[in-house]
Amino acid sequence: MEKDILEHRLGINRRRFLSKLSLGLGSVALGSLLVPDLFSGVKSDDADFIPGIPNFAPKAKRVIYLFQDGAPSQLESFDYKPKLREMMGQELPLSVRGNQILTGMTAKQASFPLVGSFYDFKQYGQSGAWVSDIFPHIGKIADDICIIRSIHTDAINHDPALTFFQTGAQQGNRPSMGSWVSYGLGSENKNLPAFTVLLSKGKGNGQGVYSKLWSNGFLDSIHQGVQFSSSEDPVLYLNDPNGMDRVERRKMLDKLAELNDISGKEFNDPEINAKIQQYEMAYRMQTAVPEITDISKEPDDIIKLYGPDCLTPGTYAANCLLARKLSENGVRFVQLYHQGWDQHGNLPIEMGGQAKDVDQASAALVTDLKQRGLLDETLVIWGGEFGRTNFSQGKLSKENYGRDHHPRCFSMWMAGGGIKPGIVYGESDELGYNIVSNPVHVHDFHATVLNQLGIDHTKLTYKSLGRRYRLTDVAGNVVRDIIS
Amino acid sequence: MIISRYKGFADNLLIALNIFIVFLLLADGHIVIPQWLQPTGRMHPLVLHFPIVLLILAMLLEFFRFMPEFTDDKLYQQFTTTLLLVGALFSAITVIMGLFLSHEAGYANGNLQWHKWFGVCVTFIATFIYWFRGKSRYNATIARVNAIVLVFFVIVAGHFGADITHGDNFILAPVMHKKQVSVDKAIVYQDVIQPIFESKCNGCHNAEKSKGGLILTDQASLLKGGKTGKLFVPGQPQVSLLLQRIHLPDDAKNHMPPNGKPQLTPDEMKVLYLWIKDNANFDQKVVSLPAGDSLRTIASTFLKPAEAVEEQFDFAAADDKTIKKLNSNYRGVYQLGTNSPALSVDIFNRTAYDPKMLSDLTEIKKQIVSLDLHKMPVKDGELKTIAKFENLRTLNLNYTDITGSTLKELTSLKYLRSLSLAGTQLKPHSLDQLGAFKSLNELVIWNSGLSATDIQQLKTANKKVQIIDGYKNDGKLIPLNSPQIKNTAFVFSKPVPLVISHPIKGVTIRYTTDGTDPDSLHSAIYQPGVMIADNSTIKAKAYKPGWYGSNIVSAAFYKDSFRPDSVQLLSVPNEKYRAGGAKALADGELGTMDYNAGKWLGYQIDMQVLLYYNQPVTPHTLTFNCLRMINNQIFLPNEIQVWGGKDKDHLKLISTLKTGEQKKDDPTVITGMVCKLNVSAPISCIKLVAKPIYKLPQWHPAKGQPSWVFADEIFVN
Repeated sequence: MEKDILEHRLGINRRRFLSKLSLGLGSVALGSLLVPDLFSGVKSDDADFIPGIPNFAPKAKRVIYLFQDGAPSQLESFDYKPKLREMMGQELPLSVRGNQILTGMTAKQASFPLVGSFYDFKQYGQSGAWVSDIFPHIGKIADDICIIRSIHTDAINHDPALTFFQTGAQQGNRPSMGSWVSYGLGSENKNLPAFTVLLSKGKGNGQGVYSKLWSNGFLDSIHQGVQFSSSEDPVLYLNDPNGMDRVERRKMLDKLAELNDISGKEFNDPEINAKIQQYEMAYRMQTAVPEITDISKEPDDIIKLYGPDCLTPGTYAANCLLARKLSENGVRFVQLYHQGWDQHGNLPIEMGGQAKDVDQASAALVTDLKQRGLLDETLVIWGGEFGRTNFSQGKLSKENYGRDHHPRCFSMWMAGGGIKPGIVYGESDELGYNIVSNPVHVHDFHATVLNQLGIDHTKLTYKSLGRRYRLTDVAGNVVRDIIS
Repeated sequence: MIISRYKGFADNLLIALNIFIVFLLLADGHIVIPQWLQPTGRMHPLVLHFPIVLLILAMLLEFFRFMPEFTDDKLYQQFTTTLLLVGALFSAITVIMGLFLSHEAGYANGNLQWHKWFGVCVTFIATFIYWFRGKSRYNATIARVNAIVLVFFVIVAGHFGADITHGDNFILAPVMHKKQVSVDKAIVYQDVIQPIFESKCNGCHNAEKSKGGLILTDQASLLKGGKTGKLFVPGQPQVSLLLQRIHLPDDAKNHMPPNGKPQLTPDEMKVLYLWIKDNANFDQKVVSLPAGDSLRTIASTFLKPAEAVEEQFDFAAADDKTIKKLNSNYRGVYQLGTNSPALSVDIFNRTAYDPKMLSDLTEIKKQIVSLDLHKMPVKDGELKTIAKFENLRTLNLNYTDITGSTLKELTSLKYLRSLSLAGTQLKPHSLDQLGAFKSLNELVIWNSGLSATDIQQLKTANKKVQIIDGYKNDGKLIPLNSPQIKNTAFVFSKPVPLVISHPIKGVTIRYTTDGTDPDSLHSAIYQPGVMIADNSTIKAKAYKPGWYGSNIVSAAFYKDSFRPDSVQLLSVPNEKYRAGGAKALADGELGTMDYNAGKWLGYQIDMQVLLYYNQPVTPHTLTFNCLRMINNQIFLPNEIQVWGGKDKDHLKLISTLKTGEQKKDDPTVITGMVCKLNVSAPISCIKLVAKPIYKLPQWHPAKGQPSWVFADEIFVN
């Protein structure tokens, strides 16, 4: 009786339950016929990405990223806003600022006076792009570059913003962009690391650059960025020590590899294998690096092109020249950082100096790649971690002002690597505060760079701690409009 | 009875199909639809009309089901139930077909996802309704809500489906903007110019309205102009009425479009100007304009980019084992993409190069599309091997040893698009047969030994090929960077070599030792091996023909012939400025302008120091190296006394040096104060006393307080 009541309540009995269950199982069984390799033990979800081979034929084989650390002002470089000059000293309308949070440096400011560029702008090239007078050389290559005036980011302080640009996350435990590229495409030249890092410092107010920015995160350590020294020898300790010749060195490395191999088999630690590979590469770098850094066969004009400082180790110009040499020799990702762009005050003086340090060499790099027929296959990127406010930080005078951090809208440029030359993409409002058309988020930027390298950003994944990670996290759209 | 048997079967089928759908959704990423099943998927657009009609009808009946006049109508009730069941079954089948279809390539993600989930929801909701509509708690309100919800889902799913099939905005497209054309197909007038008129002008200047007698909708009316006259003369933008009107100030009477209407953007104005300047051609294609042309560049920004179509190759892929075998440390062979048969080859490291590295590649001669040999010692003869790589698209021979005499071998490469010869030593005329390269569109000959006239001839003769000759300095002079003084020790007891270098070769470095500025005519030319024997200030400047001279660098050298064997401080320096104690005064390390850097000893009392010598010496001068920074209260000592003798108990005053009055504007300097010593017999001990100003004068902010004495080194000669 009780059973009957229960069955009635449930609207089901054992017979019906079992017959329905068998139906369900049958459906699942039928469906499983559509899953290949279900019982073969092959993980099919990893099969669509093979590290070392692009997903599709790439436009760009290599990247040179000229990172302007500290965030150069877009309003004194590539985003021409004559209206700001007209409205000099007037208050930034609250309707424009909206709900934008401010940094602790300006949040307590009583007023937010708009300030126009201290420098004049000119139009350059066939494209008629507006470029500030402190970047005359970049102006001259306006028809080779694509200026994006509508980049925006999530972070408002240097370190998180920089980390976000470099790793796709603000926290700083993820692999760097260069590491992802190294993992995705592998090394082109086995005698050099696939990801190298070059540092230089300008005279302007600087912000820190730390090695976490070129860390391999959870990827194998062979994908870590290798920092080249800014001294006369770009790679330290490459020479054999006194009394040890190449043959001896070879024997030593062979024996060491043998020992490492034994413990590699014993512990099954991939890092041991990585170590063996790194020793081998360092050995080959002994002959490769001097050959790369040699410019004796190039005409004097090359020095005039980059500016005479390009032969003084550690300068931005020298790093640009070295970046070209490394890239030409198959380094997938050359990451430059130039510090000193954080103009919270004294902008009219500091920014001019900063620009003078980087303008000629940045433009020279593009010209130089072009004259070797390499610009098509090399993507050059120039930009900082965010932009700067359209109002003055601190006291505004005719001769002096500063600008605070501004993540909502700023500018950068790219050249070569299948990016449309001679275009200006995206637009900010009259006051240069908000984006009015074609916004490009940092994730979109990453997706686009990977796309140019032949990588589908949704497929470049790595499983760590139980989930798959991407450079673009769960976002990012390729900006097709700037691709030629 | 028969009906109920079929119904039982259909009930069960509905459950089975629902579970099957759940499975398909969960296993979405793993599923591969075999070819024979694809037709089933493709029937989705056909079958989907059934559930739409059936379910909407069933829901209409469901909506009124609890009306008193129908509750007892058996036919009504049974018909509704059966209709819903059939509708739910069809919707399940449609969903399954749709899920199959979604696995075929070519469906963009956005709308598809929405369509998929709404469609799936339709089936689930219909099944849910079917299952619970017989329960006792199911009343009129629930029935109506369910009916509305399901119909809503059917409509939305249908809408997204239509968007997928017919494109976004299919219905409204005719009344909205035209779809954009891609750059490669666009015609300047039709796809760039006319749309501008359409969006900003044609509202008033069309066949019906024609304000001012002007129609802008077609070519003939455009050429005809309006009441005021012709709109433009092709090629003469400066006399164009059209351009004049649009460029007038916004508030001018005749400004077009009239104030208050949407205005032309600067780019639109510019493109109109350029089009008229370029003879207002009505048929010109955007891509037929020369690359880099202003009109082309700006017009392109109005258009969609050409669809990036990946080049398809019709040759078979090489064997994986062959590719693996050919890969070595100095030769990289890479697949262009996961599914591409094409290969790209780079060879690195000049010293490891062997022509065999190239000839080995004949095994994959069909597959190589890109070959990079830059800086390799490739000789003319080896081009014969390269000519065998029949599908080659890109070839980089920069800085190789070729002379160009065999370049004609490469003309057999019918797909070769890009050839780079920068940095080679080409013989004149080696590129005369350039026209024989069928597909070549880029030639790089920067720094390749060809003269400017050769290059000019090449450019005139080969308009189709983009010839890149690169940067050449146009004779504009730029300044050299400064030379670098590489000496590490600036205090010496025996003469030291002066080491100056400059990173640029062929630079002349001129220098002076007396503190005057060097010039390009009279100053000494630096040669390695120049020795410095005395106290001197070196100033150096670099010169090179074709450059402006560099900025001057300078460095001071100090001679210290009699370095004491030990030093003892008789008075204690201020605890902040101890510089590691007594030995700092004789360690050869000099302080800088950064007085905090730990190189300076600082005193606000008399500084008293003893210098001891193991062997007696006969010095003539003592130089006390000290700092002056008036603003920071650091002054030169007011007075220096030097005492000498055979030990510290037998000292005689051998020199006194007084500094004159120091003023507010005295420059910040590091300077050696030289005391002439009156020594007749050799001495073994020197005592130095340096006195600060005990009371600073009135003009100084720290008036009344003692000044600081800062010293970093003592030189005895």
